[in-house]
Amino acid sequence: MPAPGKPDMPAPAAPSAPLVVSGLAFAASAFLLATCQVELPTAAREELVKSGVAVEVLVPFADFVASASVFGGYGRASGLGGGFIAHEFGSDVDENGAEVPGLEAATLVRFGRYPSSVSVVDTAGTNRLDTAITFHAGGVLVRLDTVSSVAAGPVDLVAHLVTEEWDPVSAGWDYAVDTVDNRVAWSTPGGGPGDEIAVGVWDPAAGDSVELMLDSALVVAWADSTAIRDVRITATTPGVRLRVSSVVVQLQTIPSIRPDTLLRIGLGATGATFIYDPLPSPPLGALRVGGAPSWRTVLNLDIPRSLSGYPDLCRQLDCPVDLRADHVSYAGLQLTTAPAAAAFALSDSLALDVRMVTAPRFLPKSPLGPSSLAVTGGAAVAPELYRPEAGQVFELPITEHIRDQLRGETAFGDPVSSTLALMTVFEPLSIEYASFAGRNSATPPMLRLILNFSRGN
Amino acid sequence: MRPLLIAAALLSIVPPARSAAQSFLGFRALGAPVLASDGRAVGTGNIGIGLRGLEFSVLDPSASARLTLPTVSASMQPTWGSFELEDETGSSNTTRFPLIGIGFPLPEARGVATFTLAGFMEQRWTGERSELIDLAGEQVLVEDRFETSGGTSVARLGWAQRVFRQRLAVGVSVGAYVGRLEQSFDRTLDSLSIGDRIRPFSELSEWRYSGYTLAAGISADPHDLIHLAAAVEWSGDITETPRPGTEGAANTYSVPLRLSGGGTVQLTPRFQLNGSIAWQDWSGATGFPDGAVSHLKFTYGAGLEWRAIQQETRSVPIRFGYRRVVPPFRYHRYDPIETVWSAGLGFNIVEFAAIRLGWIDLAAEYGTRDSHPLSERFWRGTVSLGISRF
Repeated sequence: MPAPGKPDMPAPAAPSAPLVVSGLAFAASAFLLATCQVELPTAAREELVKSGVAVEVLVPFADFVASASVFGGYGRASGLGGGFIAHEFGSDVDENGAEVPGLEAATLVRFGRYPSSVSVVDTAGTNRLDTAITFHAGGVLVRLDTVSSVAAGPVDLVAHLVTEEWDPVSAGWDYAVDTVDNRVAWSTPGGGPGDEIAVGVWDPAAGDSVELMLDSALVVAWADSTAIRDVRITATTPGVRLRVSSVVVQLQTIPSIRPDTLLRIGLGATGATFIYDPLPSPPLGALRVGGAPSWRTVLNLDIPRSLSGYPDLCRQLDCPVDLRADHVSYAGLQLTTAPAAAAFALSDSLALDVRMVTAPRFLPKSPLGPSSLAVTGGAAVAPELYRPEAGQVFELPITEHIRDQLRGETAFGDPVSSTLALMTVFEPLSIEYASFAGRNSATPPMLRLILNFSRGN
Repeated sequence: MRPLLIAAALLSIVPPARSAAQSFLGFRALGAPVLASDGRAVGTGNIGIGLRGLEFSVLDPSASARLTLPTVSASMQPTWGSFELEDETGSSNTTRFPLIGIGFPLPEARGVATFTLAGFMEQRWTGERSELIDLAGEQVLVEDRFETSGGTSVARLGWAQRVFRQRLAVGVSVGAYVGRLEQSFDRTLDSLSIGDRIRPFSELSEWRYSGYTLAAGISADPHDLIHLAAAVEWSGDITETPRPGTEGAANTYSVPLRLSGGGTVQLTPRFQLNGSIAWQDWSGATGFPDGAVSHLKFTYGAGLEWRAIQQETRSVPIRFGYRRVVPPFRYHRYDPIETVWSAGLGFNIVEFAAIRLGWIDLAAEYGTRDSHPLSERFWRGTVSLGISRF
């Protein structure tokens, strides 16, 4: 307070420039200091950290799945690329207990027209186009996937000419054409009678390919643009199933401008598929993924929002425990492998994906959500899980799906469906499929959760 | 009016009362206290009451009675600290804004309306832990990190009234506790043990503080060379309420009555001494964990101010002080004590009849804070700016 007798108010004065400058300096300093990095005191002390609880919970099938279904028929065999060849392979009892005869499979290939010219380097070293070429020899070169092929030793292969009209996209074992409004059966199942045009022996120890030499008259005849150049390749050695990577015709010619040179020209396929018999029957209780056309297992989830009755969890937290998305550090769908028909048993790993079924009411044709491969990394079912016998546990990571279910939306705020499809990463991926124990088996699927909680302070 | 507007605009770019005691004290309670004072009080060791010429005080609502012009003031405190916690050492630094004050005199009523926003308690620290846990039959290494950030401030509206021929002033204020607390708990599980598809666990908890407080103060100049002040503050409970998305029930903490007083003696025209003391008994406060509150009650400080340069409308004072503060919350079971030595320098740019109309105050402090096994050291600077309308 001012001393008695002093005026209350000072005389008006001009605005003070130093004050304004000081204010600006203060504000600038404050701003700089306020935006400086803050370093918190940090100490590794038990008492400073909230208690954490990490626990593994195995949720029984009935507690997280409302219903499960298996749907088949996705994609076509022709979409696989390459093909399969099999003869009397895997006659056995399937997962339904039904007798399954050995698998018969043939690869059908349609070749295009011969080239009308070839580019040849003449004796002067110049590239020239030779239009006066003739092909006098050739063979069907079959390249095989040695990892996915099952053969104990050399395999006899036979090439037949396919003489009946067939559709490279829709053809199957019984039908040469099998589209929505047009179905034409083979005169005899398996691609019709056909004429044998070449034979060969593939020895797995010798390499991954075999050439079935064609008769030179046929090579010449195929030069006619109207000729049928459709070939069916089968095996006559029993107990084999071969995965065909590609089939081409290797033509031989001597160019007119370089008569001292033998050229080999590859003639690619314009259409290819494979046909097989028997088709796998729908599973009665097991879950199935894979095959060509593909099978999917669709799970309608009902994830519990609170957990109780789990000893490890309830020993550490008061049950029931509310379950939120953040609590789920990991979720894995545990599937127990079930014996499948030997004809379609895995010989190589089958990569699985999990995708959300966005409109379950339209099943089996519902659109799917994006692949979760980028999120979960997918998982490959190894054939070893069925050897020496099935009954081993395979775990499919579905953490993001479970978190989405609990959150009620995706991490990006998109709506979620409670229905998931287990499928191969591409459809079809293989004639082989993976079979897993279903709801009524002794080892139904389980949901393995690794949960984290904080507790007090 | 223009300089005041400029000042207000400048203050608007300052983060609102973001302050940080950056102490482990009170980690089980409301944290460490913030001494909300300006650079002059800090430099002279004053705890915020009884210092002649103090423009704004969070302890004494009557302190602003001598303002004759609309005035705004803000303080800024950069702090550099270190700690020892048994075998652990560490450092910290931050900048805080402990006090913002606005005063608006109403000459007809011979009083001043005030608004202050002041820090009260702060919690800013991080705890870490690394341990092996048993998970699904595996020994898994987990790394936990718990970070706490936030605190409580008090927004006060006050009225200071001059009475009895200017030698006496009384004041009252009503305040609201405001603020929020964020706590994040992060747990990372060792991917080598449990697989690389495991996600870290992260949980964010947010709390909001509320409550109110009432204060009354009186200050007097019984002699031209003596200034005295006393104040009392009563608080309702502070309620800590979880924000939406945070689990847990609301907590309620009681805040005990605070009595404070102080005075200044003018020894020569350029030299003055001040002393101040506050009493607050937290030992009976409710809502806190057992053993969390201190039984110490008295906070006090003293210091001197010497006007090294004195001109007609300008002066440059030099200040020294000492404070002993008793933070209300312990680390473990030992009552904490904070001792602070301070020095300061003022630039009273515009001054009329011992009333400052424009000033910058600088202060530097060195302090220690002990509550076994915790020992903290800090250097703290304070920069205050005050501007009155001309």
